[in-house]
Amino acid sequence: MRNPLVKRIPKELASDWHKYLVIIIFMVIMIGVISGMYVGHDSMLASIDRGREDLKLEDGSFELKEKASEELLDAISTGKMADVRQYFIDEGFREADEEVEKAIEEELEKQVTSAIEENVRAQCLAMGITDEDMIKAQIDSVMEESYEDALKEARGSDEFKEASDKAYKEAHDAVIEAVDEEWEEISEKYNLNDKGFMPVPVTVYEDFYRNEPEDNDNDGTEDATVRIFSGDAEINLASFNEGRAPEADTEIAIDRMHADNAGVKVGDKITVGGKEFKVVGLLSYVNYLTLHESNTDLMFDAFGFDVAMVTPDAFASFNSRVHYNYSFVYEAEPADKIEKADFSERFLKSLITQTLVHDNEIDDYLPEYLRQASNFARADIDGDSTGTSIFCYILIAVIAFIFAITISNTIDKEASVIGTLRASGYSRRELIVHYMSMPLIVTLIGAVIGNILGYTVFRNAAVALYYNSYSLPECHLVWSRTALIKTTVIPLLLMFFINLFVIARKLQLSPLKFLRHDLTKSRSTKARRLPSWSFLRRFRLRILFQNMPNYAVLVFGVIFIELMMCFAFGLPDSLNHYGDRAPEMVFADYQYMLMGYKDSDGNVIETSEASAEKFSSRTLMYPKNVGSFREGMGSGGDESVTVYGISEGSSYISLPSGIEDGHVYVSTAFSEKFNIKEGSVITLNEEYENKSYDFTVDGVIDYEGGIAAFMGNDSFNSVFGMKTGEFSGYFSRNEIKDIDEQDIAAVITSEDISKVTNQLMHSMGRFIDMFKYALIVLAAALIYLLAKIIIERNERPISMVKILGFKNGEIGSLYIVPTAIVVSICSLIGFVGGYFLMIWIFKAFMLQMDGYFAFFMKPSSMVLSVVYLLVGYLFVSFIDYMRIKKIPMDEALKNVE
Amino acid sequence: MKEEFLVISDLKKSFGSGEARQEVLRGMDFTVKRGEFCVLLGPSGSGKSTLLNIIGGIDTPDSGFVSINGDKLEDMDEKQLTIYRRKHLGYVFQMYNLIPNLNVKENIEVGAYLSDKPLDVEEVITTLGLQDHKYKYPNQLSGGQQQRVSIGRAVVKNPDILMCDEPTGALDYKTSKEILALIEDCNRKYGSTIIMVTHNEAIKYMADHVIKLRDGVVRHNDINDKKIPASELEW
Repeated sequence: MRNPLVKRIPKELASDWHKYLVIIIFMVIMIGVISGMYVGHDSMLASIDRGREDLKLEDGSFELKEKASEELLDAISTGKMADVRQYFIDEGFREADEEVEKAIEEELEKQVTSAIEENVRAQCLAMGITDEDMIKAQIDSVMEESYEDALKEARGSDEFKEASDKAYKEAHDAVIEAVDEEWEEISEKYNLNDKGFMPVPVTVYEDFYRNEPEDNDNDGTEDATVRIFSGDAEINLASFNEGRAPEADTEIAIDRMHADNAGVKVGDKITVGGKEFKVVGLLSYVNYLTLHESNTDLMFDAFGFDVAMVTPDAFASFNSRVHYNYSFVYEAEPADKIEKADFSERFLKSLITQTLVHDNEIDDYLPEYLRQASNFARADIDGDSTGTSIFCYILIAVIAFIFAITISNTIDKEASVIGTLRASGYSRRELIVHYMSMPLIVTLIGAVIGNILGYTVFRNAAVALYYNSYSLPECHLVWSRTALIKTTVIPLLLMFFINLFVIARKLQLSPLKFLRHDLTKSRSTKARRLPSWSFLRRFRLRILFQNMPNYAVLVFGVIFIELMMCFAFGLPDSLNHYGDRAPEMVFADYQYMLMGYKDSDGNVIETSEASAEKFSSRTLMYPKNVGSFREGMGSGGDESVTVYGISEGSSYISLPSGIEDGHVYVSTAFSEKFNIKEGSVITLNEEYENKSYDFTVDGVIDYEGGIAAFMGNDSFNSVFGMKTGEFSGYFSRNEIKDIDEQDIAAVITSEDISKVTNQLMHSMGRFIDMFKYALIVLAAALIYLLAKIIIERNERPISMVKILGFKNGEIGSLYIVPTAIVVSICSLIGFVGGYFLMIWIFKAFMLQMDGYFAFFMKPSSMVLSVVYLLVGYLFVSFIDYMRIKKIPMDEALKNVE
Repeated sequence: MKEEFLVISDLKKSFGSGEARQEVLRGMDFTVKRGEFCVLLGPSGSGKSTLLNIIGGIDTPDSGFVSINGDKLEDMDEKQLTIYRRKHLGYVFQMYNLIPNLNVKENIEVGAYLSDKPLDVEEVITTLGLQDHKYKYPNQLSGGQQQRVSIGRAVVKNPDILMCDEPTGALDYKTSKEILALIEDCNRKYGSTIIMVTHNEAIKYMADHVIKLRDGVVRHNDINDKKIPASELEW
């Protein structure tokens, strides 16, 4: 026969349906959201990974100054290192030989001519001819007659051979000496003397692009920079989310995320590089899942940067500089990240040497595993779910405790029934199973409905969130085992063990104790004496003491939610704060980085702009020495630090004069991120060289715009071995118009800083608002459930005091005020704790990333983060008050008849 | 001659509807004088508790009325009824109904808080013999001690009417007599009108006024001229 107690379960569900409804909704939302995140997350990752295969993602890319010759491409493909030393020697010998030969030839001609002349003169003298004209005529005639023979004879002489051998040898020796000197430097710089070097054969593809100005609303002003690729590329292909690839020379397909941000649709016309194009497709390039213009950008910029595809003819028709970008794919696939790094390092050696021996130059090199534009989205999507599932488990644990408290309350209420059942022969295990079934059933219902919603509604929401942030390929639904485990198995286990612990403990008492309603472990508990406060205050305090477990869960829940509130309010605040101060975060309104300090004619680049001031800069690496929890982010572990050499008495950066060599000032961002103080010694490394520099920090300069160190220009030149007068660029208050664009590498303005925050705000804005409201609902639901237990537990006393003549308002003040006090105090404590914890979390998070910005909350947000929670509570108090009002007075009289 | 303080007039009350309709009070009439010790006697289902609930203003009759000191309860709205209970009534229940998380003294203060003219809490505690237990919680007390606290909570209000619903129903003989003696003391000392519901026939001998109920009507309405002290009761 089935346990008749089972029949109680549906009745219990029906009788207290509001409570179970709130819990089920709570669980459905939590589990649904997590399931949706996981399914969306797994589907998205699967789509990204499939895209990497199907759309032929490169293993890396390099850009050359000149278009590569067939020979160079063939040589690079072999992955072998060129013998640079031999190349230098061969080149040196060739040049030396040419020069020696030329010199010998000249000397020989000179000597033969002079010998013939001397001979003829001697003969003339012997013959008594003195007339100079006759002598010259005689010389000319002999020259014509026997010059060649004489030359031949001289060449054949031992003397000549000896002399020319000597000259060649001397020249060759000088070449070898010079080459060895240079080779030593280069081979050390790129570690080319690697005896165990194994070639990494690759297939090289052209992936040329041009950067053009884009005017997406055709108003004549530039809205973005668009990186244009030709539609016939064989690598790094694009998937089309809408429309098609361009077929006519007036057609273009642009990035879907950028189009979304800029409000461009298929069929619209945009101006690119001064030409009008019709947008025929919205695409996602596999190597531009996030629109990082440069790999060193702190954040991608889908507003100010775009990638696009045009036909090969349209590509050729632009006038701007072609970036000779080549992509490569390894012949043998590297097994893991370590092997990827090893392959990349070996390939780079081959690339450096082959480019050198083929008279070309490398402008850029980037292995794919360090490429932000293709890895950032994946890493970010991967990172998202961890935080969310921790959030989910904490809330499920809170729910489990709420259940445990409710059930423990029910056991108190049903003590005599339990006593009777135990006395009649029901085992403790049967009762434990009975009381455990409700939380498990409710969790299961929540998990089933939550998962259904997770695979449908919430998954779409999660995917939409990703699409709102990144240029992702089309997403296909995949079955997620992680989702099932994390949203169903783990919550059920949490619920099971927490309830088992509480219920089993509670049911340990003897049947007699249950029958006597004597559920305290011992009677000798000392009554807590209270100070002689007013009666009502003591009454409230007693309620507080009576419901300590409830309040403990409430305190935990409220503090946790307040921490989340700090995050929800603080993140947009921090971004906006950073964005608002962007103008203060650049040294100058314009910062021009030059290609070199001399132009192509060898003249030093000067400007007539009065406010312009020269500076030097160099990027070095600062070791972070932290384990990264977000793989694939940043520049691969080390923080890039811009070291500036500043002119004496600079009007842009106020640096004290007379800083000694080896001493620097650091930016506040650098100081705060790595806790660097005055007197600290920092070691900065060259990125591609085995060279490091130690600097003593003399002070901190108020600059939050980047991780930077500053020193005097002279000191800079001496530390880094620069030539006197060498510099990297100009700071200027006004736009500099008299420097050739070809000589400018980059211009940095405050917009470059604000684009980071704009992008983040765009990606997260809607999500953050939703999150805030969800938190209010969560807080209200949590307080509702716990306050309900407190009131249910006290139904009889409440009914009693009603009979005695207490007014509803007074009863409300007795039973609601303690909760109000706890909630208010916890909100405040939670806020303060949450605020400081967020500062710490933010800092720890920033350590994993490149760049820095500090956590910030506006005073109004601080107030609101507490007020939002209290508004949720106010709503619950109203329900509580109505509940108190509804408690009938005959509750206290129930057992009279 | 004592004045008529409590008037019950043609009081009717039924529960349920149709065939399941059950008339609990079927036209009940009686009066109680100020300061009287009145016992309502009757078996289970005679309507004692329903009557007590209606007098206490926590239930309403279908017809008829209850008037206290000339004020009809039917004319009062919920707020006025709360004030009525607050100012005029004290309650003692069979199951004590103490607030579990308040100690003895605090439970008695629950009553004192409601009154404009409360008795001294400490004095009431002494009168009830609870000095040694005043900081204990209800679950640390015996049944008799808990009922004393319950009486203390009702009496400390110095109520006009003390309603006692089977106050000795859960107590042994000896404790019951002690409790009855306490109630008797309160009647005498503080002049409270006492309405006690019981099915214990013996208690009628200590009352001024005995009303016997059966099937929702008053069967006997007797004045007891020869009442004896609680301590002399036997059953």
